[in-house]
Amino acid sequence: MADIISIAKSIFENQKAEMIIGYAKATKEGRTRPVVVRTLDEVKELVLNSFCLNNLSTYLTRKENKGKRVAIVAKGCDIKAIVQLIAENQIRRENVYVVGVKCSGVRRGFEGHDSTKIAEKCITCNVKTPHLFDELVEMKGEELPGTDEKAESIVKLEQMTANERFAYWEEQFERCIKCYACRQICPLCYCERCIADKSMPRWIETSPTKRGNFAWNIVRAFHLSGRCIGCNECERVCPAGIPLSLINRKMAKVAKSEFGYESGMDPNAPTLIGTYDVKDKEDFIR
Amino acid sequence: MENIYKPYLMEIKEIIDETPDTRTLRLQFKSEEDKKRFSFKAGQFAEYSVFGEGECTFCIASPPTRMDFIECSFKQVGKVTNALRRLNVGDTVGFRGPYGNWFPVEEMRGKNIVFIAGGIGLAPVRSVILNVLDRRKEFRDITIIYGARTVSDLVYKRELEEWQSRNDIRTVVTVDPGGETPDWKGEIGFVPTIVERISPKGENAVSIICGPPIMIKFTLPIMMKLGFKEDNIITTLENRMKCGLGKCGRCNIGNIYVCKDGPVFSYSQLKGLPQEY
Amino acid sequence: MEEYVISLEGIKGLLENLTREGFNIYAPSKNNDRFVKVKDIDEVALFPDRRPTDISAKECLFPKCEPVFYYKREKNNVEIVDIDPNGNKVLFGLKPCDAASFTIIHKVFNWDYKDKFYNKRFDNSLIIGLACTYLDDYCFCTSVGLSPVSTVGSDILLVRLSDVSFGVIVITDKGGQLVKRYPQLFEKGEPTKSKQVLDSIGGPARKFDHKKVKEWLDNNFETDFFNSIGDICVGCGQCTFVCPTCHCFDIVDEDYLYSEGRRMKNWDGCQFYLFTLHASGHNPRDTQYKRYRQRVNHKFKYYVDRFQEVLCTGCGRCSRGCPVSIDIGDIVSRISKLS
Repeated sequence: MADIISIAKSIFENQKAEMIIGYAKATKEGRTRPVVVRTLDEVKELVLNSFCLNNLSTYLTRKENKGKRVAIVAKGCDIKAIVQLIAENQIRRENVYVVGVKCSGVRRGFEGHDSTKIAEKCITCNVKTPHLFDELVEMKGEELPGTDEKAESIVKLEQMTANERFAYWEEQFERCIKCYACRQICPLCYCERCIADKSMPRWIETSPTKRGNFAWNIVRAFHLSGRCIGCNECERVCPAGIPLSLINRKMAKVAKSEFGYESGMDPNAPTLIGTYDVKDKEDFIR
Repeated sequence: MENIYKPYLMEIKEIIDETPDTRTLRLQFKSEEDKKRFSFKAGQFAEYSVFGEGECTFCIASPPTRMDFIECSFKQVGKVTNALRRLNVGDTVGFRGPYGNWFPVEEMRGKNIVFIAGGIGLAPVRSVILNVLDRRKEFRDITIIYGARTVSDLVYKRELEEWQSRNDIRTVVTVDPGGETPDWKGEIGFVPTIVERISPKGENAVSIICGPPIMIKFTLPIMMKLGFKEDNIITTLENRMKCGLGKCGRCNIGNIYVCKDGPVFSYSQLKGLPQEY
Repeated sequence: MEEYVISLEGIKGLLENLTREGFNIYAPSKNNDRFVKVKDIDEVALFPDRRPTDISAKECLFPKCEPVFYYKREKNNVEIVDIDPNGNKVLFGLKPCDAASFTIIHKVFNWDYKDKFYNKRFDNSLIIGLACTYLDDYCFCTSVGLSPVSTVGSDILLVRLSDVSFGVIVITDKGGQLVKRYPQLFEKGEPTKSKQVLDSIGGPARKFDHKKVKEWLDNNFETDFFNSIGDICVGCGQCTFVCPTCHCFDIVDEDYLYSEGRRMKNWDGCQFYLFTLHASGHNPRDTQYKRYRQRVNHKFKYYVDRFQEVLCTGCGRCSRGCPVSIDIGDIVSRISKLS
């Protein structure tokens, strides 16, 4: 299998895309950053290793990238986001050239996270070999230790009473500073005007108070239900350390158990929330 | 220490609909003490608030020579302006100000003055026009050129008529081509075109220009041709503001704060600013 | 400057006494994410070698949200109920890069109009700094006129001499009065000892000349330098929220009921599209690179022009936490080499 730099070169040489969104070295060892490469000269910047945490598909829906033919370096989990974006008609399959990464797992995070451990999403990953791609590249990884502690936390939350759960989230959301980093990094938060930014009427209080924080985090959880593909970027970037994956994974669990739906798997499958079906079990819709 | 975020309370005394979407509120201080304490200069702005909705920035549209009322004119566009529009005579609004700098009215004494305004840009200019008219003798020739997109978009129609009927000033009102009505007796044409046609002399003259950026952009070269000095062409800038106090950090253009160093700028100052407005 | 020595027990005793005086103690939380109100003084620990908290100490004096007044409505009338921030605070164990931030943002809250909310909190607080021995690739305090042992902003600065003993450098009158109030806790120290420790603390490896940064920014507003940053910056604004010196805010109203509510002052940030969006739809900073350019300029040029201070303490939080690894220290040091 060719390495990422030669793949990138051939993309430009064969004019498969006008830009490549990939990973480059960051200023600090053991960290990468997203990079947009536009010329043959720049492809030498590209790297691929277990520090390639970011889900780059968040850049695909940017205004300035729309309609352009873009190549993207994407791990299986990131490709789920691409699949979901295609399914939701946000991007066109023919406009994205997917360099799929055969991935052995990435690290839990950069600063402040334990980067010696494997990311929790990787432990239960079912797309280590991507399910949609134009070309494959292998990430040379090493075995990383780590367990999926969040799975246990979800079970614990499920066992709580509603009041206990409320108290738990009250404590978590208390810390929210309303920076909306979760939204900005999310590949599926592509709304041109987020409900949090609407002022007439003001649906969500802008203040980082209990009321405003609950409103924001709960609305986002609902809006991602049956859509979130579990890349866990929101949790990684939250400067307040709110365990957002607990909500998102729980909602995904419900989508699976109640509707047999898993987001980000099939670009042609009708989306869960976006599809009307008379066989839906809720009768209010009929 | 005083609470700089606490507004004065004002009562709406009169509501004047200028155009279908522009309204003037005539406000009066609820407390006599506040009224006595308050003073401002033409060109300064304030933060007007509807409690429960928030604050909004407009200039003070009335002149400092008429202190019985404070007037503001606003277009209905956002959350607060929509809320302001829902208020009635007798309701209370918050008022914080005055903020920012002002038109150099004192320096304009003994000079010819040319006022050029477009659309709702007449609001800040009106403050200084009325101010100057109230002290008419101190100034030489006064020319007012005002335009709007259509006849119904003209604001302060009653005053425009009054100014046109006075023979100690020259007032020209125009509408954009296509914006006229069958009975329209004013000029037809864009403001820059009308300015060029009227050609006020730049010598010993000051010009105050307010309006949409596109109007200002095309008017400026004409003013230069007419011989106005860059220092004597004065305009106002707008940027989104929240505090008005030089703290909240959003209205800056380069290193100047519109709320503190503006909103009034001369063309020569403007030329030194980065394109961030 | 006067110097003393205090034992670890003495520090706890001091905090207990201050609690009795009515001070609330704020110190880095157990997991080092932010400054929190201390419930149990025995839990207070001093870690000069711990990295800066995720969120800076700024929120102790300039909280993420605060009411500026309450209002009550009845028919046509509105009544405003003014409020004053109350409570005395001890900000304990601040790194010099956090302590200095208050000296810096003090200026914007006090030029011309004085913000009583910030000022009252500032006046009612005691800042106990702790000389810092933590260094990483993101720190650059020495490049913005500070240092790991800088006394700027602290009322007293603690210097770790051993596990159980700390040197005390008195910086302000407030700090001096504190020592006078509890003389039994402070021993007269040998200035040389603290000095030895202080001298042994090196500065961060990253070094640049902030005057050079300004010099270049002065002449290069229109530039493609920021384009590649605009490419990848997602505009999440965490950099502005974790920053000890970013002070931009929003003012919004919040109704509880129709009849009453409050006006709030909330943190806001220049990285958001909405920050500068006009009601007309026009936005002077409509793309991400412009917003990033604003942040760099505000910190290294505009604030210097107006207040003669760099709006940055080199704490490195914004870079450590950036989800796309944008490293402001790297960016400004590259800029410093351009001029």
